[in-house]
Amino acid sequence: MNDLSQASVSAFQLLLSGNSDIWEIISLSFGVSFSAILIATPIALIIAFFLAFFQFPFRRAIISLFNTFMSIPAVIIGLTLYLILSRSGPLGDLRLLFTSKAMIIGQVMLSFPLLVAMAHASFQAADRRAWETAITLGAKPWRAFFTLMHEVRFGLIAAVVAGFGRVVAEIGSSMMVGGNILHATRNIPTAIALETSKGEFAQGIALGMVLLVLSLSLNAGVSIFQGKGEL
Amino acid sequence: MSNLIDYKNITITLSGKSILDIDHLTVQAHQCTLLTGKNGSGKTTLFKIMSGLLKPKSTHIHYQGLDMSWQQAKPYIQKDIIYLHQQPYLFDASVADNIAYGLYRSGENKANAHQKVMQALDWADLSHLAHRPAKKLSGGEKQRVALTRARILSPRLLLLDEPTASMDTDAKQQTSLLLQRLKAEGITIMISSHETHTVEHIADRHLHIENGQINVIKRPTHSDKVTILNPAKNNS
Repeated sequence: MNDLSQASVSAFQLLLSGNSDIWEIISLSFGVSFSAILIATPIALIIAFFLAFFQFPFRRAIISLFNTFMSIPAVIIGLTLYLILSRSGPLGDLRLLFTSKAMIIGQVMLSFPLLVAMAHASFQAADRRAWETAITLGAKPWRAFFTLMHEVRFGLIAAVVAGFGRVVAEIGSSMMVGGNILHATRNIPTAIALETSKGEFAQGIALGMVLLVLSLSLNAGVSIFQGKGEL
Repeated sequence: MSNLIDYKNITITLSGKSILDIDHLTVQAHQCTLLTGKNGSGKTTLFKIMSGLLKPKSTHIHYQGLDMSWQQAKPYIQKDIIYLHQQPYLFDASVADNIAYGLYRSGENKANAHQKVMQALDWADLSHLAHRPAKKLSGGEKQRVALTRARILSPRLLLLDEPTASMDTDAKQQTSLLLQRLKAEGITIMISSHETHTVEHIADRHLHIENGQINVIKRPTHSDKVTILNPAKNNS
């Protein structure tokens, strides 16, 4: 217990001292995860919309597939991507393995099914009259799509937040395709795993606190936003 | 009396069942048409096809001097025909923003749109609701906002699906008054309704839909001769 208290105090000191290593890890972690979500979200929203609003062959199978992939372990994504990006893999020539770009790709793959599945649920629950009303009032389909997104914004924001939460805390994919290289690919989860294995609990706790604060802030932000929108 | 739009061969099948099979339907300009029919007779489906929201099996349209397939006519009819749901959908925004929605889509600038919205609200006696969240309105208020939102776009044809359903007497009266005003402005209107007494006084003709087919059954406000739109089917 005493060790834990000491480690926690040291963790606070580390964060407040502006330790460059720590803040570099935090910055890389957020940069990679934000990039992944920024890339995955627009495509996921469009696919989710099509799955919810149009009938086409294999639609149900595709929805089931996304629902299944939603819970795929990060390490499986990491392993698959590792095999694809490794020197002997089909995309080995791109030399992306053990770079932050590979981590972004991994996180896009991880967040994508979750974003599609959650956004699909939101669009599915949307009132179809919203789409028809927008069209009959002269909106082009792409404008009607944005109108519809506005109508179901709370569900879509929850999807994005859940997607971000999934990738920012994942370790399997980042470890496998990033390699946990200091100043290059070390992010919060891989750093926590490494420092803990070395018995350096202070840094692990400090980084864990950052994740915890992030999680609380995101949830608080969503709650406030939803509260404002409540009619 | 000029024809605004002609629809030929309106057929649609849903889950293997024929919902509509109409040889010919003409909408005359500046007239108000009342459409009646049992629940599930295809009134809403017909309106959605007419307004370009639902693709029929095969329909040809004569509009603005052109003969077109439904698909070819879709951009024109979506631009000129507005369909209002039985319970109109208002976007999650203020009443004024809802009314301005179509204006912005047609490229109207903010200042002009604002002015037009204020005039439209005044026209419908809804100025006091301008900044209210649209989702908080009562059913009658929502219907009047939706009518105002449609009118501001000067549609050539307004399709109203049960506009006075589930309303109290006052709300029905106010909605009916707006419908009269719309008609007086020369907007062509087609109203589907079970409550014929609330709208028949403004209707120039009365169509009835049954078994997916349409017949003119009477002209409520004039003593003109009854014409059968679908003679082939009625003779058979």
